[in-house]
Amino acid sequence: MKALRQFFGANMRQYALFGFLIVVMAFFAWQTGGRTLHSENLQNIIIGWSYVLVMALGMLFVIVMGQIDLAPGSVAAVVGICLALSIKDWGFPWWAGILFGIAVGTAIGMWQGAWLAYIGVPGFITTLAGQMLFRGLDQHISNGQSVPVPPQIVKIGSGFLPDWGPHTGFNNPTLVLGVIAMLAVIYREIRRRGKIVRGGGVVPPTWVMVARLATVVAALAILTIAFANGRPGTSFPVAGVIIVLLVIFYHFVETRTTIGRGVYAVGGNKAAAALTGINIKKVYFIAMTNMSFLAAVAAIMFVGKSGSTGLSDGNGWELDVIAAVFVGGAAVSGGVGTVVGSVIGGLFMSILSNGMFVLGVGSDWSAMIRGLVLLVAVAFDLYSKAQGRPSITGAIMRGLRSRRKETQGEEQVRPEVAKI
Amino acid sequence: MIGVAQGPLLAMHGISKRFGAVEALTDVDLEVHAHEVVALVGDNGAGKSTLAKMVAGALPPDSGLIEIDGEAVTIPTPAAAYNLGVATVFQDFALCENLDVTANLFLGREMHGALRRSDEEMERITREVLHRLASRIPSARTPLAALSAGQRQSVAIARTLIGSPRIVVLDEPTASLSVAQTAEVLTHIERLREMGLGIILISHNMTDVRAVADRIEVLRLGRNNGSFSTQRASYEEIIAAITGATRAEPPWQPSGAPLSAVG
Repeated sequence: MKALRQFFGANMRQYALFGFLIVVMAFFAWQTGGRTLHSENLQNIIIGWSYVLVMALGMLFVIVMGQIDLAPGSVAAVVGICLALSIKDWGFPWWAGILFGIAVGTAIGMWQGAWLAYIGVPGFITTLAGQMLFRGLDQHISNGQSVPVPPQIVKIGSGFLPDWGPHTGFNNPTLVLGVIAMLAVIYREIRRRGKIVRGGGVVPPTWVMVARLATVVAALAILTIAFANGRPGTSFPVAGVIIVLLVIFYHFVETRTTIGRGVYAVGGNKAAAALTGINIKKVYFIAMTNMSFLAAVAAIMFVGKSGSTGLSDGNGWELDVIAAVFVGGAAVSGGVGTVVGSVIGGLFMSILSNGMFVLGVGSDWSAMIRGLVLLVAVAFDLYSKAQGRPSITGAIMRGLRSRRKETQGEEQVRPEVAKI
Repeated sequence: MIGVAQGPLLAMHGISKRFGAVEALTDVDLEVHAHEVVALVGDNGAGKSTLAKMVAGALPPDSGLIEIDGEAVTIPTPAAAYNLGVATVFQDFALCENLDVTANLFLGREMHGALRRSDEEMERITREVLHRLASRIPSARTPLAALSAGQRQSVAIARTLIGSPRIVVLDEPTASLSVAQTAEVLTHIERLREMGLGIILISHNMTDVRAVADRIEVLRLGRNNGSFSTQRASYEEIIAAITGATRAEPPWQPSGAPLSAVG
C-alpha cells in the first residue's frame, strides 16, 4: 500500500482516472480483438474528437470559476461559416481566413464575457441566450448552404505529419515526437525531485521514481509505435499536435500563473476573492473570452475535418464538452478541476463512444451508457466530498488514503517546521 | 518594525457612513498606536464591522479623515490597504477552501516573474511566517479544506503578516472557535503586538477582549460611547457603555492618549 501511494504521489486522482482509461481501452481491445488499438482507429479518435478536447480546455476554467458556457457549439458554427465564406467570397488566403475566424470567435467571447462580468447576467443565461443568438446568426449567414474549405484547412483538421528521413517502416515525425515526450517527462520528474530536495522536502526512494518513469515511458512508447505504424502517409494527427500544444499551454496557465490562481479563487470563494482584491470581473471576462476563442479553434479543426461547413455544425457540442470536464474531476460547485483531468475526461468519453461504435453498439445504448458514466462520475465527486476528501476518483483510492498519516506524501515540508 | 514612537499609527476622525436611511456610523473617532491592541466592542449593529471594512479598503467612508502615520490617506480598494500596510482578517473566514495554505496567504497579491508565479518563493515565506506565529499547520501545501476552524483562523492571521503590515484589523477572529482554538488565536494576537504592530480587535467576547486588549473602545448605534483602559475598567462599566446604560459624557476620556504603556 505504502509503495502504491508513493508510486502515485500527489496526483493520485488523475492517475486513478488515467487508470480507468487504460482499463476501458483494454476492455474494448479485448472485445474487438484489438481493432480499437489499431493506428487507424486511434487516429480516428483524435481527429474525430479533437473539437471536444480543445473546448474542454476552455470549459474547465469556466466551470472552475463557478459558471457554465452553453454557447460554444453555436459560436463554433458561426466561426466555421465566417471562415469558409471569407475565403470563398472575399478571397481571403486560407491563413487570413483562420485569423478572421479566430477574431470572430474571440469577439463573441468578449460579448458574452461583458454581459456576465459587467452587466451581471449569470453565465447560464448569457450563454443560453448566446446559444440561440449565434445559432440563428449561423443560419442567417450561411443561408442554408454548405461551404467547402481549402485543402490547407482540411490538413489542420484531418491531416498527418509529412514523413521524412530514413525509411524505418514507421512515421519518423511521430517517433521524434514520442521521444521528445519521453525525455520531457523524465526531465520534469528529475527537476521536480531536485527542487523538493533543495527545498528540504522528503522524496520517495529512487526506485519509486524509476518505476513511475518506466511505466509512463512504456505507455508513451506503446502509443508512439501505435500512431507511427499506420498506413504509409499517416502519423500522429496534426490535430493531435495542436491539442498537445494547447494542453501544455493551459496546464501552465492553470498551475503557474496569477490569472489561473484567480480563476480558482473566484470559484472557491467569490466573496473572499473580492475581499483579497482579486478582480472578479476581469477573471469572468477573460475566461469567457478564452472559451469562445477555443470554440473558434475547435471550429477550424472541425470544418477542416469535414471539408466544408454544415448546418448541424456545433449542435450539442457544449454537452459533450461539459460532460468531459465533469468526468475529468471538476466540481459542480466550482473551484476544483484540472486541465489534464479534463483532457483525460474527454479522452475517456471519446474512447468509450468509439469503442462502443466499433463493437457495433447502437447509438441508443451508447448514449444511455455515456449518460450513466457522467452520472456516476459526478456522484463519486459528491460522495467523496461528503467524506471530507478532496474529490472524485480519489474515493476509489480510499484504501490507500487511509494510511496517509503514516506515509506523509513526498510534498511535505521539513519535519522540524511541521512539528513546531 | 516601524519606529514612530509618539503619534498614532492609525487615526480616524469624524468618520460617518450612511446606508440609505440608516446611519451606520456618525462622527466616529479611533486611534491605534504601535505595540497596542485596541478592542472595538459594541452590540450588534453598532458599526464595528463597517469601521473595520473602511480600514480594510472594502468600504469608503462618506466623510471623515483617515491618517496613517500622520498622513491623510484614502483607502479605496483592498490592494490600496495592503500597500499602506493595513492587513485585515474578516469576520467570515475570507479564505478559499479549495486552495492550499500558501495560495491563501498570497491570494490577490501573488509574487510573480514576467510570466509565471514564484511559487517556491511564496512557499518559503509561508513556512517562515507559520514558523514565526508558531502555528500548528501541518504543511504549507495543505488544502484549507483539510484544516480545522482554528487552523484556518491561524492561516487568516498568518495572511496579515505577508508584506510589511503595520496595522492589523481582526473582525471577530474567535467567533466560531473552540476554547483551545481561541487560546491559540489570542496567542497569535499577542505575538503580533510583540512584533510592534497596531491591532484593532473586534469582538463580542469580553473574556477575550480583557485577555489581550490594552484599550477598549465602545461603539453604540454608530457613535463612540466610551474608551476604557483594560486594566482599570470593570466589566460592568464596559457592559454599561455597550448597552447604553451610560452615555459618553462630552469630556469623556479622549482615545488619543495611550492609557497603558506596553512594550
